[in-house]
Amino acid sequence: MARIALDEVDIDFTADVHRRTTLKATLFDMLRPRRTSPRTIHALRGVSLTIGPGERLGLIGPNGAGKTTLLKVMAGIYPPPRGEARIEGRVCPLFEFATGFEMDATGWDNIRTRALLLGMDAREIEEKIDEVASFSELGDFLDLPVRCYSSGMLLRLAFATSTAVDPEILLLDEVMATGDAFFLDRARARLDQMMERARIVVFATHALELLPKVCERTIWLDHGRQVLDGPTAAVVSAYLDGVEHRKLSEGERDAGG
Amino acid sequence: MNLAPLHDLAAALRLRRIWWRLGLQDIRRRFRRSVLGVGWIFIQLAVTIAALGIVYGHLLGQDMRTFLPFLAVGLVLWGFITASVVEGGQAFVLSEGYIKQIGLPIQVYVFRAFVSITIASAISLSSYVVVALAYAVPIGWGTLWGVPGLLLMTAVGFLLALIFAHLTASFRDTPHLASTALQILFFVTPVLWPGELLRGRRVQWVVDANPLYHLLEVVRRPLLSSEPAAMVDYLVTVGVLAVLIVVAFVVVAAYSRRIVYLL
Repeated sequence: MARIALDEVDIDFTADVHRRTTLKATLFDMLRPRRTSPRTIHALRGVSLTIGPGERLGLIGPNGAGKTTLLKVMAGIYPPPRGEARIEGRVCPLFEFATGFEMDATGWDNIRTRALLLGMDAREIEEKIDEVASFSELGDFLDLPVRCYSSGMLLRLAFATSTAVDPEILLLDEVMATGDAFFLDRARARLDQMMERARIVVFATHALELLPKVCERTIWLDHGRQVLDGPTAAVVSAYLDGVEHRKLSEGERDAGG
Repeated sequence: MNLAPLHDLAAALRLRRIWWRLGLQDIRRRFRRSVLGVGWIFIQLAVTIAALGIVYGHLLGQDMRTFLPFLAVGLVLWGFITASVVEGGQAFVLSEGYIKQIGLPIQVYVFRAFVSITIASAISLSSYVVVALAYAVPIGWGTLWGVPGLLLMTAVGFLLALIFAHLTASFRDTPHLASTALQILFFVTPVLWPGELLRGRRVQWVVDANPLYHLLEVVRRPLLSSEPAAMVDYLVTVGVLAVLIVVAFVVVAAYSRRIVYLL
């Protein structure tokens, strides 16, 4: 059973984390309370939503609206300090592919490690590893430590492995931003297949023209709040109107000032 | 009382395939591109024992046949405690990349760190065997008392790693503070010098009141003399364990769900 239910989720980030996390700073804060209140960024404010099996949800909004943070709450990476997040089902997060490599281990080892981290068991890994290897097109490079790889090769390795998972809940964050053109076409096809296998897909993107083909429902986020939640076409056009409107009013202000 | 962190800990324990693999990878990486590889663990210990053994053995007027094995066990165990605090403390900081990408229960990364700490210590403990054989340390059924001793020691090490991982991520001064404290403790704890040297003197309490001394004895006595440690050693060690369990519970409950925001 795949289900995501968020209830009044608030996520805050402290802007100057490192100031507060030294002992000295903590002691000083105790001595002089309120004098130095660290700046807080409200990444998510009162987000409540339910996503059931079969749903494809798009997340749109300007940079810093909280799309990635919301995905990370759904992935269980950010436990909400206030509010509640209930996530049922095997989650596969596809966020960025730059991290999580063991640089001195071979390509094969890295496939196994990543697959394990994404929740595959040993049998499943053995079943799929050849297919992952062939999709990555890395060939003999797989026998080499990944520190010898170019960043494009690392991306292919990570992508091939991560998309071999059969997730119940698939969380995507602008994964198609990098990669060579040829790989991009094959990658898109593979991603489509993966989305078909998943029970729930949540997709954060700036590619608004792509969205109606993928998701029937979309949430527009701004400054950590849900502005609108509804059918993709309606939400996207309202969002575009909003962006247009803001541009206009900014233009007027510039002209007046 | 919020028991969620405890569930996380249990869930992390069940993901043993993951932390075991990552831990093994860590230990392999540490030695992968060096010519001598794991041999360095032996060499490091051998050189330290030789150097300290000769100087302190003569300084303290010790019989080398008993002093060198004593020194060897002590240094191995002390190395384990230090690694649990310092390396274990880095568990979350070093796993930041995974923590921010995959929503596994965060304690997985403490287990990961503890795997490589334990394996490195086990390898260096095996080098003690060479010393023990070379100096004809008595070995008998009593040596088996070392097994419960090692289990207690391992439990203490794990709890230290768990506590310090949370503290280090929350207060970045922790590793500096901890290594300073450990350095002082190293000299006041009977590792380089046998605790018996202070018997009957006014400062004997320095040994008796030091829980680390009792903790060391629980392993050291059986291995060196083929007999159980003193009752008081076991009692103190179990007491230490109980205190650490409580502290770990409080720290995990207070910090574990905030770690990702602090990295």
